[in-house]
Amino acid sequence: MKNTLKRRNFIKLTVSASGALIAGVHLQSCMPKKPQAEVHQFSPLIKIDTDGWISLIAKNPEIGQGVKTALPMILAEELGANWNKVKVVQADYDTIYDEQWAGGSYAIILNWDLMRTAGAMVRQVLIEAASKKMNLPVEEFITKNSKVFHTKSNKTLPFEELIAEASQIPLPEEVEFKPTDSFEIVGKNIPQVDLDKLVSGGAEFAIDIKLPEMVYATVLKNPVFEGGVSSYDDEDARLVNGVIDIIELNNAAYGGRLLGPNSPNFVNGVAVIANSTWATFKAAKKLKVVWDNTGSRKENTDEIFERFHAQLSNTSIERKDGDIAKAKRSAASSFEAVYEVPFLAHATMEPMNCTVDFRTDVCEVWVPTQNPEALQEGLIKLFGLQPEQIKIHLPRIGGAFGRRYYVDYAMDAAVLSKKTGKPVKLTWTREEDIRHDWYRPGSVQKISASLDKDGMVTGWQHILANASRKTSLGREGGPAGTEIDEYDFPAGFVPNLQLEYGHVLSDVPLGQWRAVASSANAFTVHCFLDELAILNKTDPIDYFLKFIGPERMVPVVDDYEFDLKRLIHVVEKVRQNSNWDTPLPEGQGRGFAARKGAGSFIAEVVTVSADENRKIKILKVDAIVDCGIVVNPSGATAQVEGGILEGLCAALYGEITFKDGATEQSNFHDYKWMRMGEVPEIHIEFIKNELPPRGLGEPPLPPAIPALVNAIYAATGKRIRKLPIVQ
Amino acid sequence: MPSYTLTVNSVEKTVSVDTDTPLLWVLRDKLGLTGTKYGCGKGLCGACTVQYKGNAVRSCTLTADSVLEGNITTIEGLSEGQNHPVQQAWRELDVPQCGYCQSGQIISAATLLSKNPKPTEDEINASMAGNICRCGTYTRIREAFQLAASKLDE
Repeated sequence: MKNTLKRRNFIKLTVSASGALIAGVHLQSCMPKKPQAEVHQFSPLIKIDTDGWISLIAKNPEIGQGVKTALPMILAEELGANWNKVKVVQADYDTIYDEQWAGGSYAIILNWDLMRTAGAMVRQVLIEAASKKMNLPVEEFITKNSKVFHTKSNKTLPFEELIAEASQIPLPEEVEFKPTDSFEIVGKNIPQVDLDKLVSGGAEFAIDIKLPEMVYATVLKNPVFEGGVSSYDDEDARLVNGVIDIIELNNAAYGGRLLGPNSPNFVNGVAVIANSTWATFKAAKKLKVVWDNTGSRKENTDEIFERFHAQLSNTSIERKDGDIAKAKRSAASSFEAVYEVPFLAHATMEPMNCTVDFRTDVCEVWVPTQNPEALQEGLIKLFGLQPEQIKIHLPRIGGAFGRRYYVDYAMDAAVLSKKTGKPVKLTWTREEDIRHDWYRPGSVQKISASLDKDGMVTGWQHILANASRKTSLGREGGPAGTEIDEYDFPAGFVPNLQLEYGHVLSDVPLGQWRAVASSANAFTVHCFLDELAILNKTDPIDYFLKFIGPERMVPVVDDYEFDLKRLIHVVEKVRQNSNWDTPLPEGQGRGFAARKGAGSFIAEVVTVSADENRKIKILKVDAIVDCGIVVNPSGATAQVEGGILEGLCAALYGEITFKDGATEQSNFHDYKWMRMGEVPEIHIEFIKNELPPRGLGEPPLPPAIPALVNAIYAATGKRIRKLPIVQ
Repeated sequence: MPSYTLTVNSVEKTVSVDTDTPLLWVLRDKLGLTGTKYGCGKGLCGACTVQYKGNAVRSCTLTADSVLEGNITTIEGLSEGQNHPVQQAWRELDVPQCGYCQSGQIISAATLLSKNPKPTEDEINASMAGNICRCGTYTRIREAFQLAASKLDE
């Protein structure tokens, strides 16, 4: 398989002072959208030391999704490295690495070809060096276990003995990828690279950073969004042992709406600086702040949802296929349902925190972020810095789930380090973390179907109302991807289809949450299909298969096709694995949903039981996943297990509510998370194929929600159209 | 500020902190034992779990002056060479995802197995109910329990 990236200038080989061979890259120059003719700067990606150890750079932030292991595995595979003598080194933020963020299930999708190309290019150079040295044709060599191996004679030359020769060889114009059936690292269960540290307390998270002369900080923010600080009395707070200073964080004074005019404000508040975290928490409780809430809408959840309901009849059309009015007129029958989806918090286990040393004209940051680019942009705007004055380290992150796209906490830490003239570690309390999240948008959704005499859909109208257009990742105006768009399933499957969006204004800060729009819309669409199946007295899987139709490519939009063969295959397989067609005892039920997400296809069946009080216990989840090549089965399975549990947990308990413009929840007692005893058995099977690997962080989550709700219907006859299930 | 002498991982440590300082912050900020994590500050999530006198306790809700009478074991001191059967099982099954809650999970698991080497599923559920894993490693933790129990048996 020849590779398409014919840019040999994206990589450069050099020999370091210690004699190591370093493959530097300029990945940005490989991106079609950012073509660059000449590249002069390179950042290291592969380093082969004279002792045979190989260092591989992990470029993306590790949030628990396993990229720190998976991306270097791809590099090592094509290089032919001995994984047992590989050291993985986490990169700092560096624009040369490009697309250095975590989210949208994109890490493998965006880096698969790049990592393969870089690894293969260095492999080819090493082979050529060996071929010259041994005076044998290049075609007769492969690499394996960090050695170049002559297949006819079984002679080997270790990589480290080829450094000098290899560094003199011009890089090839074109590389050839290893055949996938010869993979020795990709496709194997490789334990994550930080495993030893993680089980011994030695893994360093941002919250664990300690710098010389560092002081500690926390913030007390106005609980009311869009509110400010009117005045504050810090007399008692200053009496707490160890308190150094109290500083008002008035973001109007530091840049205002840094993420753009349509984004929520970083919330104003008062910061405590002290010589320990505990002193900051204790003093923050003693602050007496008079908040200024004149700028707030002082919203309540009920009133927000009333406005969502009202907005269902005042929408913009996002997609229109055929004529739904005509379909309605000629329909044999029709059906509609209205669903409510709550706001959700992220509640990452590691609360928001950031450490900044801004004592000089260089701003050095240790930050748990999914989006270092946004932080760099914010720091440039706020302090007028040049990019080279900003150094962003990316320690491993204690969960992200979308929350850490937003860099409000890191900007606060930078302001505090600048103002105090000291390195500052800012740690939010859990209460601040829950109250000042960028929440998954709540929504009201109405789906209406026109049906023919066989109960099949001829017209489909899906209206979604929420407030999500207010935030947009710093890009003004555009949607956050947390509503409904032209790609939404079943677009492309129904001849007469209309997708509509009703926008409501709100102060609530909104953002991405794992699986983004699908976290809400999969629930409504796949529950609605289940309702249609029940209405039609048809088995829900039979109905779904009939609804999507026979194997074919479905052109959803110009640049996006849906390969139904792969979807049908996972559906049929989950039917089999879950014993779908075997009746269950009284009081038990199964529910089903299947979807495409981030290029992967997933079908899930949830089995539940209900006792006489209709108390639900989730017994089992079966999942079939087709994500193409599975890079690291251990990590991939973990993503599916985690996605399913997060979906189930959100469906059962997840709800953030607002009163007088502030979040009512504050900690894990009122924002509940699933505990060990509630966790079902999970059985996961991956479809084996040779297709390029696709995303896995998000896709397992959305189907779990409708599959659970449909199972509850099957067990109890109770149809749930409003989440969470446990009110 | 008063001075306290605590026994942490079998070593005596003297610290000067306010009486109401939670053990968590003594461990993290004063003693540099950052394997014990802050998650909620109210004993709700279990990220800060350590052993005190052999029992699993939430270090975020125990003040320094209340843990002076016995040994405090943190993740860093759970075993020689980080080779406790629970840690071995965690490694073999590649349990962590983000990893932030795992010190607490491991301490809770090791504590249960030290008292009850063959726990039933209900006993595991009850004893682990105080430890939240936001990423969803629960199914692997359950498996790791079985593996660790079998290792203890050997």
